[in-house]
Amino acid sequence: MNAIEVSHLRRVYRATIGVLRRSIKEVVAVEDISFEVGAGELFGLLGPNGAGKTTMVKMLATLLIPTSGAASVMGHDVVEDADAIRRCIGFIFGGERGLYWRLSGIDNLRYFGSLYHVDPDVAKQRIPYLLELVGLKDRGRERVEGYSRGMKQRLHVARTLLHDPEVLFLDEPTIGLDPVGAREFRQVIRNLQSEHKTILLTTHYMFEADALCQHVAVINHGRIIALDTPAGLKGHVRDLSVIELEVFGVPPAVVDRVRAQSYVESVAVENRDQKQTLLVQSPRGSEAVPDLMAALNGTRVGRVVVREPTLEDAYVRLVGGEV
Amino acid sequence: MRTLVMNVRLFWQGTLLSYIALFHWLRPVTYLASKIVMPLSQVLFFTFLGTFATGPSNAHFYVIGNAVQIAAVSGIYGVTMSIGGDRWNGTLPYLFGTPANRLVMFVGRAFIHVIDGMLGVVIGFMWGVLLLGLDLSRTNFPALGLTILITTFSTSGLGLLMGCLSLITVNVMFINNAVYFALLIFSGANVPIATLPVWMRAISEALPLTRGIASARAIIAGASLAEVAPLLAGEFLIGAVYVVLGYTLFRWFEVQAKRRGTLETV
Amino acid sequence: MSLRLIRESWRAMWAVAEMTLRQQVMDAFILFTVLVQPLIIAILALWMLRDKGSEFAIFIVVGSGMTGLWSSLLFISGNTINLERWFGTLETLVGVPTPLAVIVFGKNLANVFQSLTSMIVSYLLAALLFGYTLRIEQPVLFGVSLLLTVVSFISFGLIIAPIFVMNPSVQQWQNAMEFPVYILCGFLFPIALLPGWTTPLSVLLPPYWAARALHGTSSGGAKVEEILLSWAMMIVFSAIYFFIASQLFKKMVVKARADATLDME
Repeated sequence: MNAIEVSHLRRVYRATIGVLRRSIKEVVAVEDISFEVGAGELFGLLGPNGAGKTTMVKMLATLLIPTSGAASVMGHDVVEDADAIRRCIGFIFGGERGLYWRLSGIDNLRYFGSLYHVDPDVAKQRIPYLLELVGLKDRGRERVEGYSRGMKQRLHVARTLLHDPEVLFLDEPTIGLDPVGAREFRQVIRNLQSEHKTILLTTHYMFEADALCQHVAVINHGRIIALDTPAGLKGHVRDLSVIELEVFGVPPAVVDRVRAQSYVESVAVENRDQKQTLLVQSPRGSEAVPDLMAALNGTRVGRVVVREPTLEDAYVRLVGGEV
Repeated sequence: MRTLVMNVRLFWQGTLLSYIALFHWLRPVTYLASKIVMPLSQVLFFTFLGTFATGPSNAHFYVIGNAVQIAAVSGIYGVTMSIGGDRWNGTLPYLFGTPANRLVMFVGRAFIHVIDGMLGVVIGFMWGVLLLGLDLSRTNFPALGLTILITTFSTSGLGLLMGCLSLITVNVMFINNAVYFALLIFSGANVPIATLPVWMRAISEALPLTRGIASARAIIAGASLAEVAPLLAGEFLIGAVYVVLGYTLFRWFEVQAKRRGTLETV
Repeated sequence: MSLRLIRESWRAMWAVAEMTLRQQVMDAFILFTVLVQPLIIAILALWMLRDKGSEFAIFIVVGSGMTGLWSSLLFISGNTINLERWFGTLETLVGVPTPLAVIVFGKNLANVFQSLTSMIVSYLLAALLFGYTLRIEQPVLFGVSLLLTVVSFISFGLIIAPIFVMNPSVQQWQNAMEFPVYILCGFLFPIALLPGWTTPLSVLLPPYWAARALHGTSSGGAKVEEILLSWAMMIVFSAIYFFIASQLFKKMVVKARADATLDME
């Protein structure tokens, strides 16, 4: 039995705009998504912000009802059988909210533990263990309002593991963690997976999906545009080299001109402070550089690097150019 | 001349915006609930309680007292939130960054609530007449109108002071509510001032509303404007004192906030 | 519903009540509604009713405690789901195996307990500050009435919360609903003072029956049949409200999941 089965799931949000004259706006967050996750698998949903990942996960966690389509977790339907699902899943949507800031970390865990029907004696042992696992061993007695963002995120993780669920939904779990914390957290995820838990992870960090997941579904605009192992996804770009050009303020018209070149597969623009990096994918590799410089006529170009494509580049190519 | 026109415009803009922003005035149901039903229920509750306590012949004592006390709603909740609301909305920094005339800004916030408060008191009186047999046959109406105006002004003055306090503390609703309910005791709305112990009477005299209620009771019993003039003058003075105190605090706050960079602290 | 599920929900409910109490003990707004406001009303009423004699002191202590119970129900219990949404915890609460109705029951339990402390404090106030001697005429019956009052108030609170969530326009009337209940339910004066046509309204409100039972057993003068009638009405109302609440909660959660209103956007 598959741990998670999703079949043509669709979710439309309706919002009313305006105070005096109301109009209804419909936003399709999830268009038509289908996939399966086997038991014990670590599955990744990869996509930019607004792609529909969080909506997808909330539907599976029984917090949203799909507009159409069907989904099941551990054989239970997400709409009809929500209660059965809630017993065997844990979920993190993370962030600053979702915790009682007037209570201590330990009290938050005790509270949620009782709501998850964790036996009090069991909870008494698990809570210190979990706090140590997430690196909050000495801060458990402090009130959550004093926690940093990263600490709150880690407390969320501890909360999720309290009742030892079989299926975990982790929505962008390493956001807000510093690099060291994030790396430690990824190790925690790997450990969980070795305990044969099924994990569905969403992220917009390509390297994270690459490092952790056995299968990755790339999502954009509410649809799956690719579903494969990380190696398989890299295969999409095996024939391409990536040319990174450091530019300073390139106008969109010039970017389009580069994109229109026959030997250019895709162009992505990465913005960082004053500098921009153009990521050009082309089968011609370093041979394309002179022509690219000509196409960029007039724009100041700094460093130029030619390299092998990564999962990130495959992702960019699939998602279409905006990072 | 141009400064005058600018100030007037500032005054009206601030006034209208603050009212709409904070009270969803455009929704008739909310208005109905808070401006018409709430005053009615308060007047009814205390009048019934009062007549239970001291007999049905004293109904007018409680009706008048509570009807005038309703001014406190606009004065305290309305004005306090009007100023404190800036902080919550994060717009205070922008206000302080303008060259606008502070006094005009400050007073402008209270103006619409004075009007609103008067309306509330009138509605309270109306209910008193309709449902509780309040007898206005001997009333000097202009004098009563003046009393209502001055009383709402003075409670708004208190509201301005409390609004400034709210910029500094966090638990503003606690203070608001406590003062509102304390006024029920100290203002003489439900308890004759003369029966209070001396130290409580002193507090009553220092608060707005006390003289206004006494004046209203006298007028409805048939007193002339001249007879209540000292009370009204006192009420007005108290209001002015609170306005000045509040304004001073407001300016102090601005200086402090700019000096310490704490304009947006909660 | 299995036995294990009931036992676990029972345990969860008490855990919720405990955690709610611990959180709310430090909240100024809650302290005001639950403690300060009823005390001010008690002081005011004690002063106003001075001339009626000290037998009225217990009447006021009980009555002002009831105003505290109702206000805390209206403002705190009524808002509890909206507050969880604001905290960002509503999603988690819906996603746990414990039903949301059980969680809100626990919260209401905490609120009611907190409110009852105001009754104790005004008792002390009346006894120590005002120097009245206060006697509860029929302590055992009073105790049972108090227990039933707790249950009926919790059940009433269980339907207010989802109604406020599903119909925000009803919540606009929140402030306006405070005093009318004090009046119609005879907390601080008998409803005999009110015009006759209001009596059917009073009878439909559970707090009215609670007030009758509590006043009757503390101030005395109530016949046993009257008290039993009040108890019976409280039990009937509680049962009805528990049933309605369970339906309302189901509807509310499904609607929230469909409309995506479990979290603030």
